[in-house]
Amino acid sequence: MTDPLVQIKQLWKVFGEGETRVEAVRGIDLELGRGEVVLVMGPPGSGKTTLLSMLGGLLRPTSGELWIDGVDITGLSERELAGFRARRFGFIFQDFNLLQALSASENVEVALNLGGTSGAQADARAAELLSALGLERRIGFKPEQLSGGERQRVAVARAVANHPALILADEPTANLDSRRGAETMRLLRQLANEEEATVLIVSHDERLRGIADRVLWLEDGRFKELAGLVTDPVCGMRLEPDQAVTLVREGVTHYFCAVGCRDQFEREHVDDTDTLEGYPHPRRRT
Amino acid sequence: MTTLALRSQVAVARRQLLAKRGRTLAGLIGIAAAFLLVLALNAIFAGIEGRLTGYINRSGADVIVAQAGVQTMHMTQSALPEEDARAIAAVEGVALATPILYKSVFIQRDDKSGVVALLGGAPIPGGAHTPTGRGIVIDEALANQLGVRIGGTVTVLGTDLRVTGEVTGTAAISGSFAFVARPTLARLLQAQGLASYVLVRARPGTSASALAKRINGSVPGVTASTREQFAASERRVVGDMSTDIVRAMTFIGFVIGVAVAGLVAYSVTLTQLRDIAVLRALGLTARRALALIGAQVASMILGGFVLALTLVLGLAALAPTLSPTLVLSVQADDVLHVALVAGAVGLAAALVPIFRVVRVEPASVFRRSS
Repeated sequence: MTDPLVQIKQLWKVFGEGETRVEAVRGIDLELGRGEVVLVMGPPGSGKTTLLSMLGGLLRPTSGELWIDGVDITGLSERELAGFRARRFGFIFQDFNLLQALSASENVEVALNLGGTSGAQADARAAELLSALGLERRIGFKPEQLSGGERQRVAVARAVANHPALILADEPTANLDSRRGAETMRLLRQLANEEEATVLIVSHDERLRGIADRVLWLEDGRFKELAGLVTDPVCGMRLEPDQAVTLVREGVTHYFCAVGCRDQFEREHVDDTDTLEGYPHPRRRT
Repeated sequence: MTTLALRSQVAVARRQLLAKRGRTLAGLIGIAAAFLLVLALNAIFAGIEGRLTGYINRSGADVIVAQAGVQTMHMTQSALPEEDARAIAAVEGVALATPILYKSVFIQRDDKSGVVALLGGAPIPGGAHTPTGRGIVIDEALANQLGVRIGGTVTVLGTDLRVTGEVTGTAAISGSFAFVARPTLARLLQAQGLASYVLVRARPGTSASALAKRINGSVPGVTASTREQFAASERRVVGDMSTDIVRAMTFIGFVIGVAVAGLVAYSVTLTQLRDIAVLRALGLTARRALALIGAQVASMILGGFVLALTLVLGLAALAPTLSPTLVLSVQADDVLHVALVAGAVGLAAALVPIFRVVRVEPASVFRRSS
C-alpha cells in the first residue's frame, strides 16, 4: 500500500498484572489506505473496542507504534492528542452520543469549535452539513426530538464536520432499523469517496460487508485470516475450524460456535443418521 | 483553544445547567437561602448598631465625657459629680457643656412594656421640645407598641409620666430612646447633683480630638471621647454581643451553602459524565473539562449570591413597613465578606465533581449506555 493513512506496528494493549493480566490487543500490524473502508468484525471480547480506542487516541497502547498521517500518536501529550482528535478524527457511536442539552446544530458546532472553527463560519458549516444529510428542518431540534436515524445523521455530520482524515465508527447501524441502517452505510461509503476519509468500522452487522473494501476478523486480540475461518450457520459467527463444535450431516461438516447452536441446527434438520464428532448426540444421551 | 472555543464551552456549560431547569432552580434557591441567612443577620446587627449610635451621631455633641474608663452608654454605668460638668465647661475651647442623666429602664402602659434608654436633660433630635416636669418624649414606634398617644400616660420607675412628644428613628430591636427633664430623672433615680455624661460642643476652630485630649488632661476622673470614638465604642458593644452569633451563622451558612451547592454540582456532574467523555473524545482537554464544571459551579454560586443580595436589599427596604424596630442595614463590608464566603463555598462545592471529572476516561464513550 502506497502512502497509507494509518500504520500500526506491533501494537499491544495489556490490562492488569499477574493473575489479572489481560492481553486485549496482541501485537497487531495493520495499514489503512486513504479513502479505504475497512470493517473489523469479531466475537465479543476480541479487542475490537480496545483497538478502536487506541486508534482514536483515546487509550494509550502498552507498546507499539501507531502512525496516523505521518504522526506517531503514541508520542503525543494529552493536550496534543486532544487537538489531534478534534482535527483529524471523526467518531460515530452506536448510542449516537449526542449532547442532549444542545440542538442538532449545536452538537455539530461543538465539534467545529473544538476543531478551531467558530462563529458564523461554524454556524454555516453545521447548517450545510445537516442540510446535506436531509436535516434542514431539524437543525434546532434537540436529540430527544429526533428519530434514531436522524440522530445518527447528526452524529455523522458531527463526525465529518472538521474534514477528518480518519472516521472511526463503532456499531453505527446497531440501533437502527434496516432502512436507516442501509442509509447510514451509504453515508459512510459516500464519505470515504467524497471526503477521501478512511473509515474504520467495528461491527457485527454482516450488511456492512457490502460497503467495505476489506473485512478483518479480530479474535483474541489478533487479526485472523478470514479465508481460513468458517461460519456458524445458526448465529453467523466466524470460527476457526479446529476450535469449533462440528456436526457431519450427509457427508458435509458443519461448524458451530457452541453446543447450543449445534442443537438448534439439529432440531431444524433432524436426521438420525447424522454423526456427531467429539460430542454425544443429544438424543442418544437420553 | 481559541477564545471563541472557550466561549462556546461556557455556552455548553450554561445549556447543560439549564437542561434541568427545576433542579437548577431548586439548587439556586438553596444556595441563596444559605447566603441570605448570613447577609440578613449581618444586616440586622448593622441596623442595631446604626440605631444604637443614632442618638450620639444626631446629638450635636463633639465630645462626650463620662466617668473614667467609660466610653459607652449601653451596658455600662457612668456617674459624674455636677461640679465636673462645671469644670468641663471651663475648659478652653468648650462652647457648651450639657450634663445629662442616663438609665436603661422599662416603660409600661397597662400590660404592655418596652425597654428604653432614658435620657434626662439631653437634646432631642428632630426638634421636639425637651419636656418639663412629668413629661416624657418617646419614640413613635414605642408609642404605637404601647398604644399611647401624645397626652397619654406611661409608667417609668413606678412614676406616671405624660407623653408630651414623639421622636422617630431611635427604635431598634434592642429598644429605643426616651427623653425627660434632667431634674425629673434625677428625682426618679435619686441622683440629684449627679450627671451620667456631659455632652460637649466645641468652639468653632477647635477640633474635637484636641478638645477631648484637653478635657482628659485638665479634669481628673473623667474620660472624654470624640463623638466618633464614642460611637465606635457603642458599636463594639453590639459587636461583642453579635460577633459570635454572626460567626456561627456564617459558618452554618457556609456549611449549608457547601452542602447544597456541592449536591447540586455533583448531581449535575453525574448526569454529564457521559457528555464529558464525549466532549473529551471530540477533543476537549482535561483542563477544559474541569473548567466546564467550574463554570457551572461558579454560575450556581454567583446566581445564588446575587439572588440572596437582591432578597436582602428587598427585605431591608420592606423591613420598616413590617416593623419600625426592625432595621436591616446592608453594609458593603458585609457583602464583601459574604462574597468571599461564596467563593469559598464554590471552591469546596466544586471539589467532588472535579474529582469525578478527572477520572472520566475518553475511551468510555465506546461503552454502551444503559
